[in-house]
Amino acid sequence: MTNLAANTTGIARLSWAAGLIAAASLPHWANLPPWMPAMLIGCILWRFGARILRWPLPGPWLMRLLTLTAVAVVLAEFRTINGLVPGSALLFVMLALKFLEARAQRDQLILSLLAYFLVFASVLDGGGPLEGLYLLAFIAVSTLGLLQVGRQGTLLATGPTTRIAGKLLIPAAPIMIVLFLLFPRLPGPIWSIPGANSSATSGLSDSMSPGDITSLGLSDEVAFRVEFTGLPPPASQLYWRGPVLTNFDGRSWTRPVGMRRTVEETITTQGEPSEYRVTLEHGGRGFAFALEMPTAWSAQSRRHSIRMTSEYQLLIGPTDLRNDRVSYSVTSYPNHRAVEPLTAAEREVFTRLPSDSNPRTRALVASLLEDSPDAATIVARSLDVFRSGDFFYTLTPPPLGRHTADEFIFETREGFCEHYASALAIMLRMAGLPTRVVTGYQGGERNPIGDYHVVRQSDAHAWTETWTPEDGWIRVDPIAAVAPDRIALGLTRGGAAAPSTLAGRIGNLTLLRQAALAWDAVNTFWTDWVIGYGPVLQRSLLEWLGIERPRWRDLLWLTAGATVVMLIVLTFWLGRASRRREHRDPAARQFARFARGLERRRIEPPGPGETPTAYAERASRTLPQAGDDIAAIVTSYLRARYEADATGVAFRELKSRVGDFRLRYARASS
Amino acid sequence: MIAAGSQRLQAFAAEWARRRQGEDAHAVTLQRRRIYILPTRHGLVFAAMLFAMLLASLQYAASLAFAMTFLLAALGLVAMQYCHNNLLHMVVRFGGADPVFAGDEAVFRLTIENGADQPRLDVSVECEDSKAGPVDLGSGASTTLHLHRPTAKRGFASLSRFSVATTHPGNLFRAWTWINMDARCLVYPAPAEPGRLPPAGTSQSGERAMRNREDDDFAGLRAATPSDPPRRIAWKAYARSDQLLVKEFAGGAEQPQLFDFNTLRDLDVEQRLSQLTRFCLDAAEAGTAFGLVLPEETIPLGSGERQLHLCLQALALFAERP
Repeated sequence: MTNLAANTTGIARLSWAAGLIAAASLPHWANLPPWMPAMLIGCILWRFGARILRWPLPGPWLMRLLTLTAVAVVLAEFRTINGLVPGSALLFVMLALKFLEARAQRDQLILSLLAYFLVFASVLDGGGPLEGLYLLAFIAVSTLGLLQVGRQGTLLATGPTTRIAGKLLIPAAPIMIVLFLLFPRLPGPIWSIPGANSSATSGLSDSMSPGDITSLGLSDEVAFRVEFTGLPPPASQLYWRGPVLTNFDGRSWTRPVGMRRTVEETITTQGEPSEYRVTLEHGGRGFAFALEMPTAWSAQSRRHSIRMTSEYQLLIGPTDLRNDRVSYSVTSYPNHRAVEPLTAAEREVFTRLPSDSNPRTRALVASLLEDSPDAATIVARSLDVFRSGDFFYTLTPPPLGRHTADEFIFETREGFCEHYASALAIMLRMAGLPTRVVTGYQGGERNPIGDYHVVRQSDAHAWTETWTPEDGWIRVDPIAAVAPDRIALGLTRGGAAAPSTLAGRIGNLTLLRQAALAWDAVNTFWTDWVIGYGPVLQRSLLEWLGIERPRWRDLLWLTAGATVVMLIVLTFWLGRASRRREHRDPAARQFARFARGLERRRIEPPGPGETPTAYAERASRTLPQAGDDIAAIVTSYLRARYEADATGVAFRELKSRVGDFRLRYARASS
Repeated sequence: MIAAGSQRLQAFAAEWARRRQGEDAHAVTLQRRRIYILPTRHGLVFAAMLFAMLLASLQYAASLAFAMTFLLAALGLVAMQYCHNNLLHMVVRFGGADPVFAGDEAVFRLTIENGADQPRLDVSVECEDSKAGPVDLGSGASTTLHLHRPTAKRGFASLSRFSVATTHPGNLFRAWTWINMDARCLVYPAPAEPGRLPPAGTSQSGERAMRNREDDDFAGLRAATPSDPPRRIAWKAYARSDQLLVKEFAGGAEQPQLFDFNTLRDLDVEQRLSQLTRFCLDAAEAGTAFGLVLPEETIPLGSGERQLHLCLQALALFAERP
C-alpha cells in the first residue's frame, strides 16, 4: 500500500480554511466598510491564537450574541439586507463568524459553501478579465479544499490532491464551455426585485432637466416586451412614444396639464401597419408605450382602459397600476402624418421660451434665419449645427449652468439624447416653429428564443417634434443626425464613445500606450464576448451551427444531450485506465473478456499467480460441458500472445472463439 | 420512522440487485453494471447551492456568474464519473474467516486488489453493522479489510451481503456495489463454564486419570511434530539449539480421554455440546490426547490443534449437516 495519505496536523487544516475564506472575501474588501475585513482578520487571528496559544474561543451564547450584533450592525450600515452589497456584507460577516466556530466536517462544508457564495456574489454585477482569472484560480484552489473536506480518512498530501484536482478540472472545462454556450439565456431577469426600480438609474418621468444629471446610469432592467404578429419594422423606426413635454422654464421640460382636443382623427396613414402586443413590466404611471403612430389599441384585461392624449401619447388606466404587469395590443403605422390644426394660441404655447435665457443660441438662430428660409430648411440648418461641430455622445456629460443650450452648444458639447433634444427644441422654438420634446424608448433587442423584443430602461430616449401647417407634427431626432448608427442599430446606449479610455489618458508613451491598447483590446474582447454573451450572441452562435429559432426547451435538451455525450466519452476514457495493467495487450484483453464471461458462471477470475492453463483447468472442473471450448480458447490465447503472429490469424481466431463462447455459456447461472 | 423506511428501501434495493446479479463467487471483479451511485447529503447540498447560483445568474444575467455555476456543476459531474470509476474493475476476494466461539465476533477477511495504474482512494467495505476502511490503494496494491459480525449460535455465520463503497472524490457521490458471496465463518459452540470434570467413565484407565494432575514430572525432550501444542514447546531449548523440541512429562499427563455425548444425561443438547467443547479445550490445553463420541460420528483419539479443530467442528455442525 502506498502512502498517499499524509499525516496532517490541525494547523494545516485550519490554514487551508483560513486561506480559502480570505481568498473568497478578497474581491469584496474594497466595496465594504473597512471594519468588515478587519473583523475577518480578527476572527482568523483569534482562531489561530486559540489553536496555538490556547486562547479561549467564544462559547455558544457569546457566539449567538456576536452573530446577532453583526447582523444588526450590517442592517444599521445598509438599512436593508436586500441587494448585492448588503447581501454580500451579511455573507462576509457570517463567514468570519462561522470560521471562529468551525470544528466538525459539517461546519467545514458550510464554510466552503459560504465561501463559494461570497465569490459568486462578487461576479454577479459583471467583472473584468482579471476577475475572471481570479475566479478560475479560486475554483482551482477551492477544489483542493473540497477534496480535503470530503475526505474520509486523513488529509491527502498536497501533491496527489493537486493531481486529482487537475484530473477533475480538465474534463470539467469543456463541459463548462458547452453549458455556458448552450444553456438558454433569457433576456432580462426572471422576477423583479421589489423596490429595486426606485433607484435613480432608470425609467422615464414627467419631466426632463438636461444638465442636472451628470451620469446616466444604464439599467438593464426590462421596461417592456413586445411581440409582433408580423415582421417587426427596422430598428430605425422603433420609436416607442411616451410622455410628451411641452412646457419649458429655462431648465426643465414638463408635461402639459389637461386635454386640448381629441387628436385621433388627425392621423392619416400610409403603407403597412405593425401589429403587436406590449407587456409592461410595471404599470407604473400608466404610460402605454406604442410605436409611432398608433391608430388602434385595446387593453388585454377588462380592468384597464387606454386613451390617447392630445399629444398622441397612449395612457392606460386606472391611474395607479404600480407593479402590475400590464398587457395591451396596438396597431401602428410607421408611415404616418399627424396633421393637427393648431390655433394661434396653441402655436404660442409651443414656441414659448423664457425670454432672458440662452442669448448666444438666440444669436446663432437669428443668423440661421437671415434669408427667411422655410421650416424644412430651418430644421436642416439646426441639425447641421450638431453635425458639423465636434459634438460627442456620452453618458457622463459635465453639468450645465443657467443657460443650458448655450453651454451645451458652445462649450461642453458632450451629452446624451436629452441634451440634444432639449437644445434642438430650444433652437426651433427660437426660430418660431412650434416644437415639443417627446420621451420614450428607441430600439429594442430581439429575443430569438421567445421571438419577441425586449426594451430596456437603457433604451430610454428623447427626441423632438416640430409642427408645420402642411405636414403637421414631424419627428426630428438629433441623435439620428449626430450618430445615425446608434439609431439604425438600436444602440442608443453603449458608452463606446466615452473619450476617457485608458489608452486615451496615457497618451504618447509608446510602449505603455501599446500595452494599454492591448489591454484595452483584451477588455473589449472580454466585454463583447464573455460578459456580453447573452441571448443575442447565443442566437448568432446557434444560427452559425445551423439551428434556427430554437425554443428554449429544445435548447435545454440540446444542452443536456451534449453534456451526456461528453460524460459518456469521459466514462470510457476513465474506464480504460481502471483496467488491469496487463490488459493493454489485445489478446490479453480478449482473455479478460473470456474470464469476465466465466465470472458470471461463478468461476473466480484468475488469481495473481495463476497461469492461463491452471485457470482453464479450474474452470473446466466447474463447467465440464465447456471443457473443450475452454481448452481451445487457452490454446489460441497462448499462441496469439506469445508466438509470432504477424498476420493476426491467431488473434482473430481467439477473438471469434471468445465471442462464440460468451454467446453459448456466459449467462448468469440461475 | 424515516430511518426504518430508508433501511427497508435499502434492503429492498439490495434484494433486487441480488436477483439481478446472481450469487457471486469468492472473488469478484467489479463491472460497470453492478456499481451503483447516488449523491451523498453533502452532494445534495452542493446541488442545491448550484441551483441557487443558477437562479441568481439568470436573474442578474451575469456571464461570469453563469461561468462559475457551470464550472462547479461540471466539476460535480466529472466527480461522479471519477467516483464510479474508483471502484470499476477492482477485484474483491474473500480471504476466509477463522473459526470463533458462539458469542464472539466473527471476523471476515476481504481482500481488495487494485490492478490498475491509477490509485483508488477512500474505499471501504461495509455490512449491516460493521465497516472497515476507508483505505487508499496505490497502483497495483491490495489490502485486506476485516468485517466483524456478532455470532449468536454455533454452526456457520455468514456474511450474506456486504458492500464495497467509496465517496472519493469530494464526498459528493457515493458509489457502491453489493456483493452476495457465500462467505462463511465456522462458529464453535460456546464453551461451558469450567469446573465440571469429565465423567469418570470416559477415561480409558481410571487409575491413571486419578494421578495425572499431581505428577507433571518433566521427563525429557523430543523433536516437535506439527500436532504438538505450542505451549509445550521448549522455547528455552529452541533458543539454545535452533531445534524445535517438545517437553515430555512423565506420570500420565497424556492420559487419553474420549468424551461421550451420551454420558451427559442431565443436560440438553446445546448444553452438552457446550460442555463437550469445554472438555476438548481443557484436554487440548493440558496436552492430553482426546476424542469425541457423538451419536452419529466418532472422532478417534488424537491431540494438538488439528484434533481440537476437528472435534470443535463436529460439535459446531452437530445435527446441522444436511
